[in-house]
This record gives sequence, structure tokens and C-alpha cells, in this order.
Amino acid sequence: MSSLVKCPHCGLRPKEEFTVRGEVATPRPDAGAEEAVWFDHVYLRDNPRGEHREYWHHSGGCRRWLVLTRNTLTHETSEVVDASTLKTGGAA
Amino acid sequence: MRDYPLNNRCAFPHPDASGAGASINLVPVKDGFVFHVLGDAKTDEEALKQAIAKIAPELGGDVRKASPGQWFWVGSVDVSDGRLAEIQAALSGQFALVDQTHGRLRIVLSGTSSRTVLAKGTMVDLSADQYAIGQSAMTQIGHIGAMITRIEDDSFELIVLRSFAGSLWDELQHMAAEFH
Repeated sequence: MSSLVKCPHCGLRPKEEFTVRGEVATPRPDAGAEEAVWFDHVYLRDNPRGEHREYWHHSGGCRRWLVLTRNTLTHETSEVVDASTLKTGGAA
Repeated sequence: MRDYPLNNRCAFPHPDASGAGASINLVPVKDGFVFHVLGDAKTDEEALKQAIAKIAPELGGDVRKASPGQWFWVGSVDVSDGRLAEIQAALSGQFALVDQTHGRLRIVLSGTSSRTVLAKGTMVDLSADQYAIGQSAMTQIGHIGAMITRIEDDSFELIVLRSFAGSLWDELQHMAAEFH
């Protein structure tokens, strides 16, 4: 029936409980970077076929932001982590 | 009831209208308190329970996890404003406590058919071997956000925002209609 997402805090929940924010952006360019670099960062999205990392908000449950690795072909979600863990890894 | 007038009205016009005696029973909880507790990154549920036992052992009640570092502290006694301020002051440093008694309502759904009724609205597995007594989950019933806690064998307590309580009540009546 519905796609299930394994929230690291709540366990398996249906996708209806989540709000999808979109792709996890590349790190923000320097303030003085080329216009083309900024254009790419702000407007251009990859739309990959296969693995995709996205921000999901568990709005109907624990209300935490999650980072989800989703395969756009099969809709399988391989890795779901709390977005706060990205800070410690230095990414995003 | 609390000692300021905002809290003195039950959100349900006919709070006793439930299917008593049938396999399903729906009752709003009229007294008691609901506190939302937020902890800093270093705290956990054990630390909160210890702090509560030390500061306000007379209130008792349950601590139900809503999210990492967030809990609902729910109990059946009434707490005065003065006592609340004392508890808030004593907890500060590690925990912030917000009174939600006026904003979140409790509804008890019990009876042998309670799981069947709730299964129409939520996908959390509430079967006896998966969902222990005392366990809670923040989830949705239909499109309404609610916390479901198993309080007894076939008895569940729902915590819902006051402004959604009427809709949820209505929805539960429909979901339970086949058992009346």
C-alpha cells in the first residue's frame, strides 16, 4: 500500500506522515564566488536516476528533520538519519 | 480544574456520550495536567524521571516520549499556578516545562474493539505483543496528529490538540459506529 520510511526515532511509518523538502544541497559557495557557481547552487537540481539524498520532515510524528537516501527508480530508502548528524560530519 | 478560567470548560459539549457497555467506550479525560517538557542535548528520560521524583513526587503521572529530547508529562491531579512556577524554576537548567493543559486534550478509547477502531486511522502496530502497556507513539489518526499511549490491556489514551479534538471525536465516533 503506502511506502514505509524507517524513522530513526519512531520506527516504520507511512510516507503520509512526512513532508518532503527536496534534495540535500551541496555546501554553500563562498560569498564572492562566480555568478555561475551561485546560479548552480540556488537553481540547478540534479534529478538523478538512482540514489538521491533528500531532506524529509517527520511532521506527523517526532517533527525532526531527517536525511533520507532514496532510490528514485525503486523508491527503496536505504539510509535514514537525523539531519542534526550532518553537522558533526561537516557536510551540508 | 486549574485555577484560571481559561481551563474551566471541557471541549466536549456532551462529554459522557459514549458507548458504555458496548465493545467500545470513548471518554474524554476532564481533570489532570499535560506538561510539555523540552530537554537539552545532554538529558534523557531517566534524568527527567529522577528530577520529577525529586521535585514533584506528589504529582506522579506518566512521562511519554514525543520526540528526541521532548516529552509529555501527564497526570491526573490538578496543579495550581504557584506550584507550576515552582516546578518550572526547579527544573530549569536542564529542562524547560510548558503547560499544555489548556491546549491538549486526553481521550480514552477502551474496549475489546479499540484496536480495530484505531487501526482505521493509524498505521502504528498496536497489537498486544508489539505495543507494551505504557508505550506511546506520536502519530496521525487520519490527518489529525495525536499521541497514542496504551494505558491498559485494551485501553488507549489519545492526546490531541484542543482545536482538533472535536474533529477527532467525531471521526472516532464514525470509526467506532460498527460496534454500537
